[in-house]
Amino acid sequence: MSLLATTPFLPMKLEFLPRLPQMLVEVIFHRLGAPEWLVSIAGFIVAASTVVGVFMGGFALLSLVERKTLARIQNRIGPNRAGWFGILQPVADGIKMLTKEDIVPAKAEWLLHLAAPILIVIPSILALGVIPYGREWTPVPLELGLLFFFSVGALTELSVFMAGWASGSKFPMLGAMRAISQMVSYELPLIISALGVVMVSGTLSLPVIVDKQAGFHLGFIPAWNLFTPWGLVAGLVFYIAAIAEANRCPFDLPEGESEIVAGHMTEYSGFKYALFFMGEYLGLFAISGLGITLFLGGWQAPLPGLGFVPSWIWFFAKLAVVIMSFLWIRGTFPRVRIDQLMRFAWLCLIPMALLTLPAAAIWHFAGRGLLGWVTTVPLLLIPWVIITVIYNRRLSPSTRIYRFADS
Amino acid sequence: MSMEDQTSIKRLPPLSQWSLPGLGLLKGLVVTGKNMVQSFYREDRMTTVQYPEERAPISPNFRNFPFLVYDNDDSLAGLRCVACSICEKECPPQCIYIVLERDENGKSLKRPKIFDIDVSVCMNCGICAEVCPFDAIYMDGEYELSTDNRFEGLLFHRERLAKSAAYHAKLRPEQAAEVEARRKAEEEKKLAAQAAKEAKAKADKEAKDKAAAETEQKGESA
Amino acid sequence: MIPLLILSPLILLAALGAVWKARPVHAALLLALALALNAVLYLVIGADFIGLVQFMVYVGAVAVLIVFSLLITRPGDEAEEISRRPRSLLPGLVCTVPVLAVLICSISRVTTPSAGEAPAFSVEQLGKALFTTHAPAVVTVGVLLTAVMIGAALFARDPGKKPQTPSDP
Repeated sequence: MSLLATTPFLPMKLEFLPRLPQMLVEVIFHRLGAPEWLVSIAGFIVAASTVVGVFMGGFALLSLVERKTLARIQNRIGPNRAGWFGILQPVADGIKMLTKEDIVPAKAEWLLHLAAPILIVIPSILALGVIPYGREWTPVPLELGLLFFFSVGALTELSVFMAGWASGSKFPMLGAMRAISQMVSYELPLIISALGVVMVSGTLSLPVIVDKQAGFHLGFIPAWNLFTPWGLVAGLVFYIAAIAEANRCPFDLPEGESEIVAGHMTEYSGFKYALFFMGEYLGLFAISGLGITLFLGGWQAPLPGLGFVPSWIWFFAKLAVVIMSFLWIRGTFPRVRIDQLMRFAWLCLIPMALLTLPAAAIWHFAGRGLLGWVTTVPLLLIPWVIITVIYNRRLSPSTRIYRFADS
Repeated sequence: MSMEDQTSIKRLPPLSQWSLPGLGLLKGLVVTGKNMVQSFYREDRMTTVQYPEERAPISPNFRNFPFLVYDNDDSLAGLRCVACSICEKECPPQCIYIVLERDENGKSLKRPKIFDIDVSVCMNCGICAEVCPFDAIYMDGEYELSTDNRFEGLLFHRERLAKSAAYHAKLRPEQAAEVEARRKAEEEKKLAAQAAKEAKAKADKEAKDKAAAETEQKGESA
Repeated sequence: MIPLLILSPLILLAALGAVWKARPVHAALLLALALALNAVLYLVIGADFIGLVQFMVYVGAVAVLIVFSLLITRPGDEAEEISRRPRSLLPGLVCTVPVLAVLICSISRVTTPSAGEAPAFSVEQLGKALFTTHAPAVVTVGVLLTAVMIGAALFARDPGKKPQTPSDP
């Protein structure tokens, strides 16, 4: 609190805005003379509620922004009836989801059917707790933050299986099988590309990883992990694997409507369906937040003079840019097939992700400067060329021979 | 045909076909990005017609249910329909019901007392319009016909069906112009024939008078 | 002590259910639950790293592997049930009683450390120990896993068909 009082410049005071609820509650409880453990518990509850509340609001906003952006890409206006420019559309969607009849098929296991959407939302919310949103504002600053993030991600796969199997019909089973194979395949490049960052930063703690990306090269290029040779490749691999982990287009085979109805979510209706979407979008926020933390410098400002803008604004600006790029990609690319998906993960992404590990080590021991760039760029570029050439060769069709058509 | 003729999977594509991997993806992103940005200020990239407030123009070839044409603003006396019942007989699903109006002596007044079309039966084929000899019935283009009464609301009576010739001209300009020209030509021909007959009758009468006058004169002189 | 008292019966029940349930998928999910509760136990006693890794590896990989193989090999699971009645008790007893005896003996021989500071170690120390003192074990496990992966890939590969030459008309 004293830090708040002594910060002179108003925009810098805005830095403390996210912590305001927690600080207020703690002050109130102190004034009421509550014991220490109660104050800290109340503080935790308020901090957790703030995070969840902000991201629920973000989820609602994102569902509207996504529909309108996709609409503009597709030559049409998005929802514009529910309020001024459709701003009340998420409210309308929420009311619809809440008032729909909850249908559980007779052949379904109702306990697992009920538990699956809940268990899909829980890891996303848990994962949101370890991401540093601002200077010294991480809801739960764990020393093993990155490991925690990936561990709770493991729960998502089991819940997808539960959703698919508990529905008791063919489409969900097929969808669950595809979804699990996709998630498992793309989890490897995700984790391996994050390992390079861990190696270079020397820690698993996310706030420390952000702190190590402070500073500027040449005066104006930020020292983010994306602007290193191995970071470029690892960041790109992480980006693609994140799209696949979140089941977004072009990797949304598990929920492709024209193919398997809604995959593992077919037999769900009403609020459980809304929970699935909430889990997907919150997971998207979580993994984008992690990507920003690992590769884009978290809450660091991009240019030297802009340090006075509150750090959480930079974080959410970067989050907005990354999510808009996800929307752009969703509106552009066709869905990949399951075999193309698998081949891409195992034959292209995993080798490139594995290569970033020695590249990061070589870059670090070559002094992190020009020599580092010169030695690691060939190490990464040549295998990439080889992989893509082989990949393209296997995929390019042979010239057709028409036996009965006249030439 | 041997294997070497085709570019098999085992060989690399020719150098001219090599391209940077990912370039196609970036081109695609540029296309959609352009579409998104330009949809805010260019007409051809935002083709949505916001329905209840705006309506898309309908083509002159669109036909829906029939309507009766009247001339001269009088929706009863100007009706071109003479209740000949040809359309009633030709209608394939038999959705037209006509009752001729007769005066107290039983003489037909050449207009329909009842002219009902059941649009829940009508199949929009346009045969009634094709066979009418009096240019009295044509196909309309109105499509906002929702009603909450399945039986009464979909049985159109003569008053509902009668629309002016000016409406016909606005709906189908070419067809209405052609009908108008044809009717005017027939009218003029009729008038010309009438005038010729009158002139002939007058000339005959004059000739007859003259002949009568001459015979009288001859009779007097004899 | 209290967390141990709460968690142990739950773990026991889950493990018993995993062994006794007739439907394989239920058994697999109960196994995953037992492993997850184990991870919670590790977290409660302060072994953060091991707890999280237990969750990631056992629940996230092993349980998913079991479940996935169930999905692929038995899609029509609704009607099948594993018969509950064991064919004969003797082989089971021969296998389990010695294992139980060994476990009880080894657990009873563990000396609890005196009440004092729990030894705190960091991930860095763990990594250093793993890759210097225990490096041969790590390398051996790595080679073994690579061999397993190559073997699995070889098994799963379809025998390549020769591209057919079109016959001359």
